[in-house]
Amino acid sequence: MTLKKDKLLPWAFLALPLAMYLIWVILPVFQSLLFSLTHRDTIMYGRKFIGLGNFVRLVQDPQFHIALANNLVWLVFFVGIPIPLGLGIAMLFNQEYPGARLYKTLFYVPMTLSFAVIGTIWAWIYHPDFGALNTVLRLLGLEGATRQWLGDKRYMTLALVFVGVWRQVPYVMILYLAGLKNVPEELVEAAMIDGASWGQRFRHVVIPMLAPATVVAVTISVIDSLRAFDIVYVMTNTKARAAEVLASYMYSSAFHYQDYGYGSAIAVVQFAITFAFIVAYVNNTLKNELQR
Amino acid sequence: MKKVLAVIVACVVAGAAFAAGSNELVINSYMSDQAPKETFQKVVDAFQAKNPDIKVTVNTTAHEQFKTLLPSWLTSKQAPDVVTWFAGYRMQSFAEKGMLEPINEVFPGGSFEAEFPGAFKGPSSYNGNVYFMPQSWYWWAVYYNKNVFAKLGLSIPKTSEEFLVICEKIKAAGIAPIAIGAKDTWTAGGWFDYMNSAVNGGDAHVKLTKGEVPYTDASVKKSFGYIAELSKRGYFMPNAASYSWQEAASVMFRGEAAMYLMGQFIKDVAPADVKDSIDFFKFPVFEGRTEYSVDTPTDGFMIPKNAKNKEAAKKFMAYLATAEAQEAFCKPLGRLAANKKVAVPNADAKRGLDMVLGAKSAMQFYDRDAPEEMAAKGMNAIVDIIANPAQLDTVLTALDKERVRIYAK
Amino acid sequence: MKSMSNSRRVAFMTAFYVVGTLLVATWLIPIAIAFFTSLKSMDEIMASPRMWAPPKKWVLTNFAEVWNRVGMARYVLNTIIIATPSVIGTLLVSSLGAFALAFYKFRLNKPVLIVFITGMLIPFQMLLIPVYRFSDSMGLINTFPGVILFHVAFQLGFCTFFLRNFMRQVPFSLIEAPRIDGASDFLIYRKIVLPLSISSMAALGVLEFTWIWNDLLLSLILLQVDRLKPVTLGLANMQGEFISNYNMIAAGSIIAAGAPLVIFLVFQRYFISGLTVGAEKG
Repeated sequence: MTLKKDKLLPWAFLALPLAMYLIWVILPVFQSLLFSLTHRDTIMYGRKFIGLGNFVRLVQDPQFHIALANNLVWLVFFVGIPIPLGLGIAMLFNQEYPGARLYKTLFYVPMTLSFAVIGTIWAWIYHPDFGALNTVLRLLGLEGATRQWLGDKRYMTLALVFVGVWRQVPYVMILYLAGLKNVPEELVEAAMIDGASWGQRFRHVVIPMLAPATVVAVTISVIDSLRAFDIVYVMTNTKARAAEVLASYMYSSAFHYQDYGYGSAIAVVQFAITFAFIVAYVNNTLKNELQR
Repeated sequence: MKKVLAVIVACVVAGAAFAAGSNELVINSYMSDQAPKETFQKVVDAFQAKNPDIKVTVNTTAHEQFKTLLPSWLTSKQAPDVVTWFAGYRMQSFAEKGMLEPINEVFPGGSFEAEFPGAFKGPSSYNGNVYFMPQSWYWWAVYYNKNVFAKLGLSIPKTSEEFLVICEKIKAAGIAPIAIGAKDTWTAGGWFDYMNSAVNGGDAHVKLTKGEVPYTDASVKKSFGYIAELSKRGYFMPNAASYSWQEAASVMFRGEAAMYLMGQFIKDVAPADVKDSIDFFKFPVFEGRTEYSVDTPTDGFMIPKNAKNKEAAKKFMAYLATAEAQEAFCKPLGRLAANKKVAVPNADAKRGLDMVLGAKSAMQFYDRDAPEEMAAKGMNAIVDIIANPAQLDTVLTALDKERVRIYAK
Repeated sequence: MKSMSNSRRVAFMTAFYVVGTLLVATWLIPIAIAFFTSLKSMDEIMASPRMWAPPKKWVLTNFAEVWNRVGMARYVLNTIIIATPSVIGTLLVSSLGAFALAFYKFRLNKPVLIVFITGMLIPFQMLLIPVYRFSDSMGLINTFPGVILFHVAFQLGFCTFFLRNFMRQVPFSLIEAPRIDGASDFLIYRKIVLPLSISSMAALGVLEFTWIWNDLLLSLILLQVDRLKPVTLGLANMQGEFISNYNMIAAGSIIAAGAPLVIFLVFQRYFISGLTVGAEKG
């Protein structure tokens, strides 16, 4: 599937994209790596190399541990819920009834709203005294289930993750809608209608055919869970504390605390963790390609 | 010959137009609230009218983002000519690094003191030079709902003992004595400033914000301890950490909380029918210390060293220093003008001013007097103590570790 | 479908509509609250603790006010000016790279691909200061090209990867034949591969447009001048130093959400079929 082995020609095509990428992305990454080895180094403090000092500090930093733990929570829920839910909803909306397209479009809307307003509104839903959530729980007689969703450090991260999930499910749904186009319709219907062998048909036929979409969905969800920032930033009024994640801690350190060196160190760690996932993903992908 | 002349004239005119066109003044402001933004624009327009050869542009950025971006702007090649900022350590740290332009000569009366109270000079200067032009300031005090006090027959507490008594009475009536929007951690900063300066004196508090006093020191433990005690007795509103400052204010407006240690701008969000029932009193006296300090965050302007049009910038600063410009800004907003020649805008402000004039010293506010990281962690600590008063010692120990690291340069 | 009985078919259809409607209605509750908020006055919002309830008094002026006085109109225009060239630019430039990686066998093919993939996963904030300093030294601060160039470059990772996957589906015969006839590689790229990639490029375009439209941090760093600010900054600026006008922010956000939604609606059909082919090999 390749054209003749041509030494120069691919580089003619790659010249522009690679050049841009190197200047605006790769180079800054290396600069950040450099900064992670310095003390503070914001524009104000000048550069002072401290080797791995920032990383040593990270290892002992309780806030960093909190951030790591929270990212793990994000990872689990951000992947564990949107994938099956997105798939289920995609299968539901994939029927060719009038109005299906409307459903799909409406479901996409959460992704179009800015985080600023999403954060504000969910904060109102989560409000312990008057928020919609606790009010509904009380109406249902479940006073004991009400919580300080955003104030209690045990629940903050979960509350924020849920908002993230709320926003991610439509995205995964779209990915699966695309994937389902590849699955023969009869198979999907057969799986949905036949009683007893529904589960088996589903597991052994539909799921494997959806594998490519699943790989994309899982990867994007993993990456986005480790990169989670906007929701945490907006809903905690920029002071995440118990709900801290790597990205928000990086941002606070670099921009609020004028400690760009430390922020870069956190970024390096976040990148390393994400990179571990990339390696697995890329190997998987390229392996599948070789099979063609 | 006529042709040559025409060409020369054309060139001169074009040159003049070009020169006039390029006399730009760029102002970066953090006044993103509608009212101050529009009022400031009027001031700018007045300046523009007096100086038609200068083209003034005001760029507004929300406060939070402004603070993170300012260091980048100050060192940029495209630095703005004038920026809004506040007085105190946060300004002086920039001056220390040579990022600001001194403005000693812009004052209409010839010197800083000709226009402004002497007390402002300290926080506006560094190393003998003035870098900061104050414009407006406001005070923090204990705001309270008059209706609640009237209903329960309470009078204004003057001492801590009286304060505790009325808190107990309010609590017994099923109302939250103290409102606080702890989700916005800066609300805790006010408590720290007032409590620590009340218990240990204004000078001790200054030392603390300079990083010279450990947070584990007995004196600091005492002032934090008072806050913990208030929390232990249940005087702070429940679920405070879930409320933004605005939402907590709303609780007080509805009469479900009685008092709120807050800045004067709380009146700006009071609904029309509630405004007149909100008033303030001075923070109570603790430990019998009658001398007191007040938080008077002062907003104003400064000029980056990298500014492209320093001449126009200084002209603008000179204009801003005048009583006329200061009044034009402060009067509609009900704020106190820094310029001492400007009359107080209303009765409320007069009382505020009297309170400030009676103070021994003025603080700029915790996060303006201390490095940002220290203040952020300090305010987090106070919010933690309000939520978990029993954790007092652990929190302070951890906080002091941060202090050692942050102040070590 | 033919094997199903009529009653079963009806039951199924009912289930579809019932579950579908419930699902969408529940999911969109926060959106409904956003609408309610945009139709209230600030006084009402501050007076009632139930901030999420429908308005007691419907205020229709917030939208007009946010459009004119707050300046949403210009912010929307600015964002269009930023997003459109960025999307087109990144699609075109990445298609070049994707073409090279898809069709040429050379030793550095895999490493280059990995470089692009790696870029997809970089924490964005890490790049802000270096990019700022670079742009400052090049005089690209406070310019649209400065922001556009960065968007184009940063999205190259994701786009190159996806387009490469799609391009590998093109049957080799379609490439081989013109080559034998002596067509240059660039001609093949332009006249054959690109047209075949339109559907996946449209799909990517929709996603990219939404992401770039919602970008806050990059514009924050690179655009400090009011007249150039995009909607995200405009919305952020509505957070006052102390006071937030929630109703205006809600109204502004709804206006801001308009464009990505419209783009989605217009390109939807490509979107669904386009991503398929990329995903198949993904």
